[in-house]
Amino acid sequence: MANEVNLNLDPRGFLEIMPQRAAAFEAASEAPLPTDYPVNKLMRAFHPDWQYARIQKIETHGPGAKSFTLVPDESKGTKELAYFSAGQYICVYLAIGASRLLRPYSIRSAPADAPAGKYILTIKRAQDGFASDYILDHWKEGGAVTLTGPEGNFTYEPLRDAKEIVGIAGGSGITPFFSLAAAIAGGAEDCRLTLLYGSRRAEDILLKDELDALARQTDKFKVIHVLSDDPAEGYESGFITADLIKKHTPSGDYSLFLCGPQEMYAYCDAQIAALALPPRRVRHELFGAPSARLTHPNLKDGAFTMKVITRNSEKEAPCAANESLLVALERAGTAVPSRCRSGECGFCHTKLLSGEVFIPSDFDKRRLADVAYNYIHPCVTFPLSDITIEVPGQKEPV
Amino acid sequence: MVKTVDVVVAGAGNAGLAAAAATAKMGLSTLLVERHNIPGGSASSFRRGRFEFEPSLHELAGYGSPGNPGDVRDIFSDLGVNVEMLEVKDAFRTIVTGPEGYDLVMPVGIENFVYAMEKAVPGSAESTVNFFKLAGDVGRALGYLSSGQPDPAVLQKDHINFMKVANLPAGPVLDALNMPPKAQQIIMTYWPYMGTPRGQFSFVLYSLMVYRYISMSAYIPKNRSHDMSLALEQAIRDHGGEVWYNTEISELLVKDGRCYGVRTRDGSEIHSKQVIANFYPDRAFAGMTPPNETPKQEVKRANARTLGMSGYCVYLGLDKSPEELGIKDYSVFINTTPDSDEQQKGMYTLDNNDFFIMNCLNIDNPGCSPEGTSILWGTQLFAPGVWDQLKPAEYKAVKNRVAKKIITAYERAAGVKISDCIEEISTATPVTFARYLDTPDGSIYGYHGVKWDAMLPRIMGMRGEQWIQGLRFAGGHGARTMGYSSTYINGYQTAQLAAQEIKEGR
Repeated sequence: MANEVNLNLDPRGFLEIMPQRAAAFEAASEAPLPTDYPVNKLMRAFHPDWQYARIQKIETHGPGAKSFTLVPDESKGTKELAYFSAGQYICVYLAIGASRLLRPYSIRSAPADAPAGKYILTIKRAQDGFASDYILDHWKEGGAVTLTGPEGNFTYEPLRDAKEIVGIAGGSGITPFFSLAAAIAGGAEDCRLTLLYGSRRAEDILLKDELDALARQTDKFKVIHVLSDDPAEGYESGFITADLIKKHTPSGDYSLFLCGPQEMYAYCDAQIAALALPPRRVRHELFGAPSARLTHPNLKDGAFTMKVITRNSEKEAPCAANESLLVALERAGTAVPSRCRSGECGFCHTKLLSGEVFIPSDFDKRRLADVAYNYIHPCVTFPLSDITIEVPGQKEPV
Repeated sequence: MVKTVDVVVAGAGNAGLAAAAATAKMGLSTLLVERHNIPGGSASSFRRGRFEFEPSLHELAGYGSPGNPGDVRDIFSDLGVNVEMLEVKDAFRTIVTGPEGYDLVMPVGIENFVYAMEKAVPGSAESTVNFFKLAGDVGRALGYLSSGQPDPAVLQKDHINFMKVANLPAGPVLDALNMPPKAQQIIMTYWPYMGTPRGQFSFVLYSLMVYRYISMSAYIPKNRSHDMSLALEQAIRDHGGEVWYNTEISELLVKDGRCYGVRTRDGSEIHSKQVIANFYPDRAFAGMTPPNETPKQEVKRANARTLGMSGYCVYLGLDKSPEELGIKDYSVFINTTPDSDEQQKGMYTLDNNDFFIMNCLNIDNPGCSPEGTSILWGTQLFAPGVWDQLKPAEYKAVKNRVAKKIITAYERAAGVKISDCIEEISTATPVTFARYLDTPDGSIYGYHGVKWDAMLPRIMGMRGEQWIQGLRFAGGHGARTMGYSSTYINGYQTAQLAAQEIKEGR
């Protein structure tokens, strides 16, 4: 029954509501509204749309690798480089011929160097390394580069990880560990790192002097070099086996962090299985897209056509079963938002409107609803027929 | 190039999605533009390792069962949105630590709730029964008010109790119901869902929320809120609408007091008969309209208001099942004091904020994570300004400090050990909300719901407070205030108003 409850309150209160509202508006200031807010400012310090930098210094490490010191380019509006957590990456924006692409590289320098105006990227020539080759051959001191903000989850998390980290690095997979070691030495991270670093020969060890110097700075960081091809005095040799890990592992709880090429993961994961660590104690950095040929049992080298819709525009371009849709889009000169290129970050989130595709299950990290509504991550998706996709636009750099 | 449509919706949050789906459903050509690359704003999900986390939704109110549908379920059905939803079995568990403390599990269903309350607070039954009766009066009166121009005589005759409580916060009304203080504290448990404590929280809105949760249960989407957002997005497409992601609005096109479209960041114009803005008026009138077309009233209204709360969440993927951990409750409200006004004071500080909610998704969504694992997340509210002064280099340590405090307090209050089985951890702070929602200071709750800016005055002010024709705002800052169901309803109703104007050729 309505109004059954007996309330000793005044119904005229209702009539006061709108006059109170009008009075509050009337009493308010006419001053212009703020155009920015402190939290949004702090957000942009971590997540700028783009960062414009100049190459201050290039250092050559043997025949196949270089380190690039990047500083903010104030003339283009970048006053400070975004802060990051050791182990994160940034993407480099490249325009090569008609292609527009983004390539992720772990930041090698310490987080504390960012507010001081410096990132260092160490880039190694890779097999089929379209972008790395371009960078090594074309980037000159004084040149301008465009970067995204930092991304990635290959970081030390004190509430999750053991305080003892055992790192396994292969080749250019050293870079996130270098940043972590520098963060430990500088006091930004409070953990210990024992690094097993696999290289082919002693002379191939990337950043050896720098690593040794860091290890002298702090007793919380130790590096053990492991040579696969030519054994040498003072080094471990062979592959990184379970026994070798055990030999250098501190007693008690530890977390294992791995960064290196997929072949290294394949080998090391089998070795790690013998250590019987719980999944929460083993973390892998992403290291690129899978090869469709390796993962699809009977993939044909089909050549197909993709229709690409972005806002009002529509275009057609070739794509192929043995190459990810992201690569096909980049080749077609489509500016596609992307970051990790490993199926995880979701920046390339794209609607598949028609056609058949193949997504290797290990790389399918889509949300449940994305699967239900045919959203895909083109970086790990391979076409099996002609397809139509809706790709979101990208805010282009200046 | 200029694109022309009937309706542009700017922003694909809950209100934007519901609005665009509704205008498209009504046969109006509709374009929804969104600056992010996915829809939903807070209504989303994210993955870490083998876990997919729910970022924000605790409980959807007003959904109901097929036999007893709420308004949100009706809206979803009307729009052709089909989402697998699960019923939340209990209302809540509330733990207050300390000398005045208690630890109670409150059930759903009005009779059950009254019974449990009487057991916890002997002598409370009559006042609790009356609370729900009064909430029913409020619901009926709001139905009458929303049907058009209310007649004061009818209000006097049929809705006298509503008139008595309409301008009061929860506190004085609960006092007038002679509800014992402890029962008042228990019934106020939900207050953080809206961020306004008993001394300020409009009784109308509060009683309605409690009534909806207790009488028709809360619901959650099986595949996280991202499923609701994509289902609404699909409805827009199915009804012939378009959705453009990564498309940011830089300007509202206004001439002679009429909004005729928007300009995107890349300079292209979209012209429309109606614009529905799913962003704060504070943004719109801080440079998105030409200076001579910026109504003084809008500036004053925005200046009169205070930004609502922002949030902090820590998301945990654990490598033990809820059974192994001894967790039985979906949502636990944990406090060091039972007084909501006291709890709110802590929200104005970084380190003395003791209130939080801990959810275990697996309890009401079994199978949401792999066998032998569980998903927990803790939520706190922070007032605007608290995270303002942080430097980037301190940020990681601070967000971990807050996370650790929540984890430790939960372990102590609930007698559960979780800190040794964390497989994945992630946090969302006001900075994170600022990133994904682009709201002022990362606010998640629109404006603070003070007396003159609660739901009722906003609804009653709706017609008189439109100073630019063809432009309407929808969202947590809108007429229905914050929260999932409020924003869905607000978006849907805003679409009806916009469609009505188009139909009338205005």
